[in-house]
Amino acid sequence: MDDALLEQMAANVPLQEAGRQHPRLLVLSRANRSLRNFASFLEALSSGQQPDPEWLTRVGYLYRTTAVYGNGKFGIADYDRLKDNADFHRPFSAQMLGVYLLRHFSIQQIEHMARARAPETAAPLATSLKRYLGIGNSTGLGMAPFLINHPQLVQRWVESRELALAEVTAQVPGEQERSRLLALLKRAETHLRQTVTDDHEQTLRNQATVASLPELMTWLELVPLSPELWQELIDWSHQQHGLEAQELVNTLLLELYPSIVDRYEDLMAVEESLELTPDMPLVHLKQVIETHYDWALRVDFSLAENRHWFWYRSVEKEEPRLGVRDTEAGADKEMKLAIAPRDADTHAAISQYLEDHPRALVVEFLIQCPRHKDIVRRIQSMASTSFGEIRANLWARDMKPMHLLRTKLSFFGASRFDPKSDRWVRITLFQGAPLVEELNAEPQDPVAFDDWSFPLAPQIARTVLPEMTADPRQGNTTTVGGMS
Amino acid sequence: MSRKEYGVRLSSTEQRLRLRAPDDVMQLERLGSLHASRLSFVRSLMRQMARQRWRITTTRFELDAHGHGVAIYCLQTPNKRYHGVIFSQALEDAARSDRVIAEAWDVTFGVVEGDVDDALLEQMAANVPLQEAGRQHPRILVLSRANRSLRNFSSFLDALSAGHQPQPEWLTNVGYLYRTTAVYGNGKFGIADYDRLKDNADFHRPFSAQMLAVYLLRHFSIQQIEHMASARAPETAVPLATSLRRYLGIGNSTGLGMAPFLINHPQLVQRWMESRELALAEVTAQVPREQERAQLLALLQRAETHLRQTITDDHEQALRNQETVASLPELRVWLEVVPLGPELWQELIDWSRQQHGLEAQELVNTLLLELYPDIVDRYEDSMAVTEGLELTPDMPLVHLKQVIETHYDWALRFDFTQGENRHWFWYRSVEKEEPRLGERDKEAGADKEMKLAIAPRVADTHAAISQYLEENPQALVVEFLIHCPRHKDIVRRIQTMSSTSFGEIRANLWARDMKPMHLLRTKLSFFGASRFDPKSDRWVRITLFQGAPLVEELNAEPDDLLAFDDWSFPLEPQINREPVMGITETSQQESPQAMGGMS
Amino acid sequence: MKVSYNELHGLCRKAFQAMGFEDGDAGDAADMVAWMQLYELEGLAALNRGLRFLLEDTDERPPEIVYADGDLAVLDSHGHSVLKSSSLALELGFAKARARGLAVIKIQHCHNRQRIMGYLARLAGRGMNVTAFWRNAQDVDEAVGCPMIEQVVGFRANSSVPEIRVYAVREVPEENEPNDGITLVMANHVDLLPSLRSDYDVDLLACHEESKLLACRQRAMQEGIEVDDELWSRLKALSTRLLVEATEDSRSGAGAGSTDND
Repeated sequence: MDDALLEQMAANVPLQEAGRQHPRLLVLSRANRSLRNFASFLEALSSGQQPDPEWLTRVGYLYRTTAVYGNGKFGIADYDRLKDNADFHRPFSAQMLGVYLLRHFSIQQIEHMARARAPETAAPLATSLKRYLGIGNSTGLGMAPFLINHPQLVQRWVESRELALAEVTAQVPGEQERSRLLALLKRAETHLRQTVTDDHEQTLRNQATVASLPELMTWLELVPLSPELWQELIDWSHQQHGLEAQELVNTLLLELYPSIVDRYEDLMAVEESLELTPDMPLVHLKQVIETHYDWALRVDFSLAENRHWFWYRSVEKEEPRLGVRDTEAGADKEMKLAIAPRDADTHAAISQYLEDHPRALVVEFLIQCPRHKDIVRRIQSMASTSFGEIRANLWARDMKPMHLLRTKLSFFGASRFDPKSDRWVRITLFQGAPLVEELNAEPQDPVAFDDWSFPLAPQIARTVLPEMTADPRQGNTTTVGGMS
Repeated sequence: MSRKEYGVRLSSTEQRLRLRAPDDVMQLERLGSLHASRLSFVRSLMRQMARQRWRITTTRFELDAHGHGVAIYCLQTPNKRYHGVIFSQALEDAARSDRVIAEAWDVTFGVVEGDVDDALLEQMAANVPLQEAGRQHPRILVLSRANRSLRNFSSFLDALSAGHQPQPEWLTNVGYLYRTTAVYGNGKFGIADYDRLKDNADFHRPFSAQMLAVYLLRHFSIQQIEHMASARAPETAVPLATSLRRYLGIGNSTGLGMAPFLINHPQLVQRWMESRELALAEVTAQVPREQERAQLLALLQRAETHLRQTITDDHEQALRNQETVASLPELRVWLEVVPLGPELWQELIDWSRQQHGLEAQELVNTLLLELYPDIVDRYEDSMAVTEGLELTPDMPLVHLKQVIETHYDWALRFDFTQGENRHWFWYRSVEKEEPRLGERDKEAGADKEMKLAIAPRVADTHAAISQYLEENPQALVVEFLIHCPRHKDIVRRIQTMSSTSFGEIRANLWARDMKPMHLLRTKLSFFGASRFDPKSDRWVRITLFQGAPLVEELNAEPDDLLAFDDWSFPLEPQINREPVMGITETSQQESPQAMGGMS
Repeated sequence: MKVSYNELHGLCRKAFQAMGFEDGDAGDAADMVAWMQLYELEGLAALNRGLRFLLEDTDERPPEIVYADGDLAVLDSHGHSVLKSSSLALELGFAKARARGLAVIKIQHCHNRQRIMGYLARLAGRGMNVTAFWRNAQDVDEAVGCPMIEQVVGFRANSSVPEIRVYAVREVPEENEPNDGITLVMANHVDLLPSLRSDYDVDLLACHEESKLLACRQRAMQEGIEVDDELWSRLKALSTRLLVEATEDSRSGAGAGSTDND
């Protein structure tokens, strides 16, 4: 960082998309204050009081980012450059670091402002509240194209999780794992009870999850520790509980076995490329589609409800949007995000071609009908994998774009899902995460350091007497996601 | 030819991972789409007989010109001697019924362990023809009876007497001279308990003694018709051509009587299905070579022809057969052109599952099993099981609730308050205790319902458990049962079966749209039945042993056991039909390779 | 007449169902009777004697726990036959013995106590050592001089057959209350086979050893099981209560055509 670069950045970074960014920038981002939290925090700290933890339960941050750019956007460094970078070769890890630094800044900034306003009375933020403070993020449909256009990356992410889960379910539980899972279930239950959202549907989902946990915990306390216990738990949950509860169980099981699961974090990256196999017999490709893209063929695309939406980019900052096909303009500029109708279309063309050429090769078919090349390439590359294709019709009227957002956000590590509409969501990152000073202290126990999922609202002595604020750092750190 | 060198052996984990899901396998409609396979009991019996060099000889054949009298066959195994005793008598056409409620039959017979002396023969002559109404000897292992196919019987007799061969298509229409109406084993009417056969080296496999009885009847039916032809026209009569003998099986008529067995023996069903599924899982892991590809192509061709030749008046079954036949040509083109990847068999099964009808899917599975005798045939010894449903009284009740919700989820999915989900009830009639179906709201007898429908009982018990747990969340199963003892039976079943995958047929047997035919076919496919010919939605004719090797081929001690065993999906033989009197000798020149021969 | 084991078991089950036993209880009761008959312990004769009692017993009350703690339970069977009411009491003992190593179960006020053996065999098959003890129910009539009889039946874990001792006690203790109960001891790890004290004054009335019982079973499998014709007919008649009258509707309910000729 020399002055010249700083000067260049000062001139361009605040402009974001409109600026021209330096190629040594790895990540470019911006954030806005949470007005209410910012004002109340400043008020409280200036007067020597700790903010009410409930404020953070309601809105878990002082800043929320609205975009975190990486991978060559607006002139910054290409992802290619990071591939061989020992620090940030994992997908989105540089972006996440950017957010983590912002969190640290938000703490330092508010403390600085409180001191500036009332040097006599101002108190620093209690450690437990610092930990309970994250960074918000607001996201819309912009996440969707990424998931569809990077099937190989999605495949890696989901496959790694599923492989880890498969290994975990094969573990024979001991009393130690049982009691740890019980504690995690309890913590997650409280976390979900504390999760506030105005969205009716998400509230119901949270409630359904919370409601299924007490019986599950009684069960876990009483059952004998058989070798198939984790599998039974997963199977039971699959039959009996809502989807969020099912995935919560899976998530918590992954927590039990760090030495198994953490190895998969190095499998999250992949060299992407979709390649054609021109010499495949066409009947083989037909079989491949029918076997592996059966989900796409099940939809009847002639029905209006199955071709309701179309995806397009707005002239406004190229923002991806959804339009209703028969009522809104722009369907002629549709983004081809819906894979299912393309598969079905190609399958129909292949079937027809095979009637006259039962022994044709793929390349012969493509020469005849070249417009299918792109999707054939995708099918041929992805058919040998299991988890790359999101099995949904993105045209369907009842398709919920929110699920696409959550898919990606859950891999980022978001919590406190708070949908603001059916295609816009607020989440929190790094809530409960260790602080910069804890990191710098070189923690001895990496497992304990890592144990900050499903953070809980800290208990703070709220009747603050002025003379007791002398050491306000004595927050109750153990209640923040502390288990051990 | 040995395939041992290249069989891919699987770890038990990989095998388990390749198993199909019970929720899929145990759907009633899929079970009702199974075909006879090389693990079917008739196939295992034929292999065992050839491998162990069993010999069958005629020790008595005292029939009059009408074919009435007594025949006794001696079966010598390496371990023991058995006798098949057949009584053939005159029967009024009007009395000829296949129902269990019939009281007289064309032939009645039994298979006896050990020798038959005059006293035993006398006792049998007095009782075997009475069947259920007689008192049978405890050395009888199997008791059965059969009726003639009148049309085939008279046309065969006419043809053979006149020195012609019968037309092969007669056997394509109706594949037998006799059809059995019941084959009793396991202690019925005083005969030997199955327990006694458990330690019998020859017949420890389920239903193998019964299948032997049917095989002996087939042999008798050939000998009898030839005897009658030569009695009627000693000058002109000819014996039946070998290819037609092979193409001749034994029929069987069956109704709802098969259903209670399948429900009341979940552990046996579990073994049968699991063995088949485990074998299939191993097979899917094999890396196919050109040899297997060619063999599978040939088998597909044979099965297709067999199905084209399968005749039934039942509209639905005819459609199913046509649908299966229609899906095979593309499948064969595909199999000819795909590269031989290691996951080819798995791909084939997955494709078939997505794209083809249930009967075609199960046909593919059945034919894949044919490719790997060394892998598959080992499972014929896992078909038997010592049954016993046991309670685990000290299981926490919430654990049982979880077990039900996890493994009996299919039973909890029905709403039993809906009329369509409680339409039928099963009962036994006073007429020979024949199982029947009645409409709950219309017919009398629902108060005497047989508890065959497992799903409503599970749902009922689940509701009672959930309620009890509200007050007693930490209760044990035995505490709940002392409080509500009527759930003991089903809890015992759930606790025993939940550790297995394939014991419970996942259907609501009360449901209006439940098809009893599927239950019949499930069991019949394990017997080894072919030519499914439903006569109503709950009554079916099938053929056993059609295409099977003959007694004389068995006695000839075949060297090539794989070829001997290769008789599935038999085809109509080509016969030179020129009935020129002087050259009847050559009319027996059949083409044996058309008879299910592959190699 | 001779019957097979399956036939006997099947008929008993149907007869018990016809008497109003729940499905599970009918199967258990049939197990108990057929088991005794298989080992020539006169299960059917005892059933014959108790049949009227069973038919007249319309009390629907299930057995009730009078007292229970970790390793002891007392149940009141309300005068039912053990055929109908004992299995869950035994299962309770099994559960306690598994948890605590040893359990004692006392079943008060029950009939046909001999018949309990068949179910004990089942528990033994699940790896439990079981011993049952009872004194005869016929009130000891001092005047007639009928001796008091004690019976002990012990199963080794995983053994299909018990050791049985039946003996008369000459010296009847003073406070001999009428005893229509049965006491069971179950132990997870220890053998509990009965062997009589030699220095005590008893008349051994019957002694069935494991080997002898196994021979009975062998014989029954070879030659069939002898049953009394009259009792057999009674059971058959009872079992027909489960059958539904034949009507034209019901004949079509079988699904077969009227003529089967082809």
